[in-house]
Parts: sequence; structure tokens; C-alpha cells
Amino acid sequence: MMKRTTALLVAAAMTTASLTGCGGNAGNGGDESTNPEVKSSGGSSSDEMVFAWWGNQTRNERTQQVIDLYMEENPGVSIDGQPSQFADYWNKLATAAAGNALPDVIQMDYKYLDQYVENGLLLDLTPYVDNGILDVSDCNQDVIDSGKVDGQFYAVCIGISSPALVYSKTVAEQAGVEIKNNMNIEEFLDTCRKIYETTGYKTNIAYTDNEPFMEYLLRAKDVTLFEDGKMGGEAADYVEYFELYETGLKEEWLIDPAVFVERTKTTELNPLVYGTSPENMSWCTFHLTNQYSVLVGSAAEGNELGMLTWPSDNVKKSNYLKPSQFLAVSKDAKNPEEAVKFVNWFNNSVECNNILLAERGIPVSKSVSEAVSEKLPEPDQEAIAFVNEIVSPNSSKVNPPADAGASGVIDLLNQLEEQVCYGQITAQEAGTRLFEEGNQMMAK
Amino acid sequence: MRSKRLVFNIVYNLCVFAIGIAMIYPLLWMLASSFKESNTIFNTASSLIPKQATLENYINGWKGFGKVSFTTFFRNSLFISVTATFGTVMASSLVAYGFARFQFKGKKLLFTAMLLSMMLPAQVLMIPQYLWYQKLGWVGSYLPLIVPYFFAIQGFFVYLMSNFISGIPYELDEAAKIDGCSYFSLYRYIIFPLIKPALVTACIFSFIWRWDDFLSSLLYVSKTAMYPVSLALKLFCDPGAASDYGAMFAMATLSVLPVLVIFLIFQKHLVEGISTSGLKG
Amino acid sequence: MSARRANPHFRAELKKEGKKMNQIRRFANQKHTAGYVFTLPFIIGFFMFMVVPMGMSLYYSFCDYDILSPPVFSGLDNFRHMLTDDTFFQTLKVTFFFAFVSVPLKLLFALLVALLLLKNTRLSGFYRAAYYLPSIIGGSVAVSVLWKRMFSSDGVINSLLQMVGINCTVSWLGNTETAIWVLILLVVWQFGSSMLIFLSALKQVPASLYEAAKVDGAGPIYRFFKITLPLLTPTIFFNLVMQMISGFLAFTQCYIITEGRPLNSTLLYTVYMYQQSFEFYNTGYGAALAWVMLAIIGLITLVLFATKKFWVYEGGF
Repeated sequence: MMKRTTALLVAAAMTTASLTGCGGNAGNGGDESTNPEVKSSGGSSSDEMVFAWWGNQTRNERTQQVIDLYMEENPGVSIDGQPSQFADYWNKLATAAAGNALPDVIQMDYKYLDQYVENGLLLDLTPYVDNGILDVSDCNQDVIDSGKVDGQFYAVCIGISSPALVYSKTVAEQAGVEIKNNMNIEEFLDTCRKIYETTGYKTNIAYTDNEPFMEYLLRAKDVTLFEDGKMGGEAADYVEYFELYETGLKEEWLIDPAVFVERTKTTELNPLVYGTSPENMSWCTFHLTNQYSVLVGSAAEGNELGMLTWPSDNVKKSNYLKPSQFLAVSKDAKNPEEAVKFVNWFNNSVECNNILLAERGIPVSKSVSEAVSEKLPEPDQEAIAFVNEIVSPNSSKVNPPADAGASGVIDLLNQLEEQVCYGQITAQEAGTRLFEEGNQMMAK
Repeated sequence: MRSKRLVFNIVYNLCVFAIGIAMIYPLLWMLASSFKESNTIFNTASSLIPKQATLENYINGWKGFGKVSFTTFFRNSLFISVTATFGTVMASSLVAYGFARFQFKGKKLLFTAMLLSMMLPAQVLMIPQYLWYQKLGWVGSYLPLIVPYFFAIQGFFVYLMSNFISGIPYELDEAAKIDGCSYFSLYRYIIFPLIKPALVTACIFSFIWRWDDFLSSLLYVSKTAMYPVSLALKLFCDPGAASDYGAMFAMATLSVLPVLVIFLIFQKHLVEGISTSGLKG
Repeated sequence: MSARRANPHFRAELKKEGKKMNQIRRFANQKHTAGYVFTLPFIIGFFMFMVVPMGMSLYYSFCDYDILSPPVFSGLDNFRHMLTDDTFFQTLKVTFFFAFVSVPLKLLFALLVALLLLKNTRLSGFYRAAYYLPSIIGGSVAVSVLWKRMFSSDGVINSLLQMVGINCTVSWLGNTETAIWVLILLVVWQFGSSMLIFLSALKQVPASLYEAAKVDGAGPIYRFFKITLPLLTPTIFFNLVMQMISGFLAFTQCYIITEGRPLNSTLLYTVYMYQQSFEFYNTGYGAALAWVMLAIIGLITLVLFATKKFWVYEGGF
């Protein structure tokens, strides 16, 4: 009888009772019972350092090896590596920032640097450079400066790349066009026309990956795309970019924008390397050097690729060495010095970079980059040579990191570009709207 | 008469079979892709038969990331899905019984609250929920992925079951009540067995939803060794770099299997509805 | 009454019931308190896990909030901004169309298939599994890749059409007129959950009713419209409400396949909200969008509930 009574009362509360047991298990069960290795590798989680990055399987694999190596060399240091997929990474990072629970070492993108610094989420690394824990003496000063915001040093660049117009040598030969570095816009357009006329291959300008190329074109006119709280230059400056599409659309050598809705955004399905006919393929793609080897790997047999500078009427002004990724340390890092030591090792250790193999871009430290480069596969060596010999001597300093409002403007740019390509608005309208509406967004 | 029946049977099976094939085409495609060499998947996308079948994708994929293999990911997923499903089905059936059989002050309000909680896009609650669980000290554990379900917060299941309970003749309750049965015994021995189809349906749904959910584990689980399969699958692909699609498809195929098994086990119980469980008399 | 016979525990239960009750028990077993006792898990859960986050998000909707820095109260700014936001109206249009076309189609299909699969044959387990499969693999990357490939201008769908003599080279996803239909098709294809609910409800219809009707000489069509359909109306209603809600909250289909392209013709409301919250860091605006959606769905649900008394059979059987 009593039992029944209790049962009734517990009817509602049973859930409460059972959950404590279950919940408790859940918390610990995850890492204890299911993975002994992780448990044994670290001490208590409170002095464990967290290193978060985005990437694919190759990067995850190599980075984890590097972490293991570091822990082996530095007994007592424990690092938990946490990889995510790119979009998820920023979602997760932002949420963690809202809860003041950022990872200790953060892989940072140039695009987001300013926002994280402005909100005081990153540690100023200047003191560590001064006391020698962080050694950046072997690096290109311009590249190191790209990690500075308002004169303070927040993020260490861990890989360099540069814009590269990856193109199909095979198609170019077929069309009999002469292809060269440092083309100006008119020469580029002529090439597109000629290739379309002779081979039927179309051209993808920078559809959906537009902002770097827009910035590149503006730099030739000494205009900075994103200035502090506003768009640089004037409305007319923004029309040129859209005009390229308009011309291509009119002359029919522009690839059908539908192709980009039909395909998952992935290097393997880039119209340069994938397609069923010249009609839905492009002879070139606006990319960065660090993706070159992936493109080469994805190209069908008999489709030989090469690399050129992006076209511009003033390549020297337009071109730049691009910091492809950074490492930053969270303001809330439990042991900042340990975190900075790890960042330093990541950047300067040949042993470490022999495992990473320039997968994040060319190592910034000159001695490391030289030591590593021989070990790289052919296309990566080609990319390094391209950056060092073609881009480096003929380029200017990279633009400062963009303001918080920039992501909204980039979306607007996407929309306007789409409307131009679908023939809904003119290049003139698109340029004006981008400038005006963009200014409103940046002002907020 | 018999031949007419036979013809009908053949036509019926043909139709159902043909539509069925169209339904499982994607799974077949995924299965086929998982046996293709990773770099040929897109070039041979329209063909279901791999030119050269390979198991490499499965071997590569299963290795997982770092030191954590898919054995761990599958175990994690199973743990989360089973506990959360158990909690949500038990709690929801209790609450549903309360809603379906009793009149009490504030019931309408409570019911409306339940419906409303379903209408707010889940994505918008991500940040506040994260902050709240962080206050509770639950971030980094499985607690946010499990505990709430023991409180019947998924209105869908409560509503589903209360709908079913409403369909059960009230006379049964009254008879039992006259016999001196408590409400809990009534729930336990009359209602619970009779809503079996609904319970089974809820089990299937809940298990699948928990199994596929990666958004909450993305935010709350930080250690790779605690990742569920749904989240681990996303680590194969990154838009900016080479993705191992072969391994992804291989592991995605495997990840469907447990769900399929659960479905096949449970759907049998769907067949025995009320009509055969002795209510006829 | 036979339920007692069917359940051996029941008699043992009755014996125990004979003894006298104590106070707490009497309290819990009173008709009006028992309701609270049984719904207690939900009451606690709702306050613990829903009220707090919902309140916070409601507050954010009145704030200028970018996740990274603390929210700043800005009154009705977010809501005022909606009035001048063309994309907001565009997504509303797309979402209404999407929900009002896909939900009825899906339910109709689910009901038909459920009736088809009601027949018990040796293969029914396999059939049910096959028809349910699309719902299992739901929103994975595999589905996204596959659907894009199938509906591309040189994809399987166009090849099939060419086989039957229609020379079609439409890019289904690249065309503003057709892209939304691809998403609708995807939703209808995943009809499995509604189908299961219909199936389990169909199982609940007492066989005796059909037998009685058969004795009276009623044909299958008559039986369907006079017995099955009326008894199924509560389930149809339930599915309709649930699918409407999930239709308006649809996210994955758009997020993994089109991301709103081309020209925002497939931009679903929740995806726009998600972009605002997590991509453009206008989290306050995102929250405001969410609450407007809640109001819209709430209103639609209210209307549905108001029509309930005209067509839903509530008599039990």
C-alpha cells in the first residue's frame, strides 16, 4: 500500500529522480568510459589548454599530431584539440564568447579579427614579443603587422598565401591565347572572349567569392573597401567590378550563375575542374595560392593547371600577401604564458611544420618555410615560388582588417552581383546601391 | 475471384515496390558513393555502380580524427539518443495523460504554453540557452543534451500522446475508478499499454531526432572524444579545402544503420494496434 | 471491460487498492490535483528550460546585440527596421508559399501511403522502412549533394525527362520559378513522420466497426469515407497543426541546398533569421524576427483550432 502511494507521488517526480543518476553518468561517462586515452593524456581539465580550429580531415589529423608532439616535449602541458567545420566554428566561437568561455588558443581569420579585438576578447601579445617568449624576428614585418589592430599585436599569422588566378593551361593552349602574369583588365577580358570563341569554355569571375576581388580592383585606385565605419572611395569606384559581369553576360562568355546553385561549394566541384561540357565549365577561377594543390588534385586527367596573378590595371597596388590564418590567445586564457609558448612553437618549430606541411599556407618564418618547402608536393612548391618570386616583389601591404559591419555588406554584394548576373539591374545601379547601402550598414 | 485477387496483389506489390525504390534511391546513391574512390564520386555521380569497388573509404573514415575513432562517436550517439528517448517518452506519456484526462485550473494556459514553445524557431534560442546552461555549469557535458528531455519539453510528443489518449474510450477509466483504482495505476495498467502505437512512434521519432541532432552537441560538447556521430561527420568536409567525401559517405551510410535497425525493431509493434489488443469485446 | 481480463496485473492491482488511503495519497488522487501531479514534469521543465531562454531572447529582440558585446536596449528599433527591410518581406512571401503548398501535399501523400501500407503482407516491414528512409537521412550533407546533382541541368531528372521524350535542360535550382519547388518536393518526400502517425492512428480504429459495416454491405469507398476518415480527423488535425508549425519553421532544406538562391527566391524565414543572428551578428534583429514568426504561427494555429469544431470528430469510438 505504502509502496503504491509512493509510486503515485513519484509518478511526477520519477523523472526528477532518475535524471540525477542519468545526468551524473552523462557528464562523466562521456570522457571516462568511452575514451581512456584522452583521460590518461591529461591531468584535471582545469589546467588543460584548449586549442580550437576549423578545417578538414587532413588538417585535423596533422594538427592533432602536432599537439601530441608538443605534449610529449613538454610534460605537464595538456592541450585539448577541438576541430570544427568552418561555419560551425564561428557559430560556436561567438556563442562561447558570449559566455566568456573562449578556447585558450584560437585559430583566427582576418575577417573576424577586428570584431574580436574590439570586444576585448583577445590577449595583447606585445609584452610577450618584448620579453622574447614570442619570437617573430624571422618573419616578414608586413605580414606580422597584419595581426595588429590599433598598434597592438593580437594575432600571429601562421600561413601566407596570395591571390592566384588558377587557370587551365590545356584550355588556353587549345584556344591559342597567350597567357601572362600581371594582365590588365582589358587583356583579361580579351582572353575571356577569345577562349569562349575558340573553345566554348566560359569564365567565372569571382561569383560568390567576390569580396577579395572587389577589394583587389579598388586597391588599384587607392580605395580601401572597408574603411573605419564607412565604405572607401565613392559610388563610381564600385561600378567597375559589376561591369565585368555585365560585359560577360552581354558577350555570353560569363558562366551561367545557376551552376553555383546546383553545386555544393567545394573545391572538387569548382567549374574549373568539374563539369560536363565547356558550357558549364570555366577556364579560370579566382582563388588563393593555398588552395592550388587541392585544385590540381581535383582536376581531371589531361587538364593541366597553372597560376597567374589576378588581373588589375595596377597589379603592384592591387596585389598583396594575404595572411591566410592566425593564432590568437583568449583574454580569459587560464595560463596565457603557456598558450603563447605554444603559439610560438607552432610558428617557429621546423619539427612542427614538417608535420603540418604548409597546409594552412606558407609558414611565416623564413627559416621554417625554407626547411619545409623541399618536403612539399610539387604544386605546393609551385605555389611557394609563385608567392615569393611573382607576388612578393610586386605587391603592396594588405588592407587593415574589416569592421564589424562588413559581413552585412558582403551579403549585399552577393545579392547585387546575383541580380546583375540574372539581368535584373545594371552595373551602374549595383555599384551605387552597394556604396550607399553599404555605408549605412557600416555606420551602425 | 481468386485470380482477380492475385492480379490485385501483383499490381499492389509492383506499385508499392516501384515507389519504394524511388524513395530509397538516395540511400542507394550514398551507399554506392561510399564504395567509389573518393576522387571519382562526382565524376560518376549518375551511376549507381562503382567502377572499382573499394573499402578504403570505410577504413579511412572509421579511423576518425586524432586519436578518436568512430567506435567512440557511435557509442556517444547511442548513449545520448537512448537516454534522451527514454526520458522523453516516459515523461511525455505521463504529462499527456494529465492533459488528456483531467480538468484543472490553468490547463488551457499550460497547453498553450506548450504549443507556443514549439513555435519559436529553435535557432534563436541557441544563445540564451547556452548562457543559461553555462550558469547551471552544464556546458561541456551531456547534461544539456539529456536532462531537459526528462521534463517532457518536447510539446510534440505530449500533444501526440494526449491525442491518442483522448481517443481511448473514457468508460474504461470510469470502470477502473469504480473498482477503486488509483490514477497512477490507471495510467500504468490501462492507458500505457493502450497507447503503444503512439509510444512506439514517439520512440522512433525521438531516437532519430536525437541521433541526427548536431547543433546542440556543437555548442555544448567540446571534447572531440565526446562528439556524437552527427557532429563528427561534419569534420570530413570543409568548403575551403580538400574534403574526403568518400569517407564522409561511408560513415554517413553507417550512421543510418542504427536508426534503420531501431525502426525495423519498433515498427513491428506499430502493427498491433488497439484493434487486436482486446478492446473489441 | 475486457481490458481487465487482458491484463493479468490488473487484478493483483485491485487487491492492493482495497486498503485505506492516507492523506497525501488522497490529495494526489483528487481529480483536480491529479492533473497537476501528472503534468508536473512539464511545468518544472517548462520553467527550467524554456521560460528563461525565451525571456532572454524576447529581451534581445528589443536590443542592439551582436553576441560579442553585451546587449544594449534599443526599444522598438529592430521591429521598426523590419518595415523597411525588403528581404524580410521577401522571406515572408517565400515562407508562406512554401508552407501552404508543401504541407497539404505532404499530408495527402502521407495519408495515401499509410492506407496503402496498412495492408499486412510479408513485405510490409520492408515497405514501411523504405518509405520512412527519406525521413531518416533528413538533412545530411549527402542529401544536399544528391539533390543538387539530381536537379542540375545535366542531372538525373532531366535525363529521365529526355528518356520519355521531353527535351528538358532547365536548371531546376538555378531558375527563380522552379527552385522553390525543388525544396517543396524535398519536404514532401520526407513525409515519413506524418505517415507513421497516420498508420498508428489507423491501427487504433476498432476492427469491429469495419466488420459491422461489411455485414451491412458497405463497400470499401463508403467504409473509408464513413468510418475511417471521420475517426481519423483528430489525427489529420494534429498532423496539420504540427506540419504547419514545422513548415513555417523549415530551415534545413534551404540551409543545406540553396541558401536562398537564386535571387532570394528560396530564402526561408528561419534561414534569414539565422543569417542575421550568426553571420551578420545582428543577433537582436534575429531575435525580433523570431518573435514575429511566433506571432504569425500562433495566429495561424489559432485559426486552425477555431475551425476544429466544424470538421474534427471528437466523439471517440
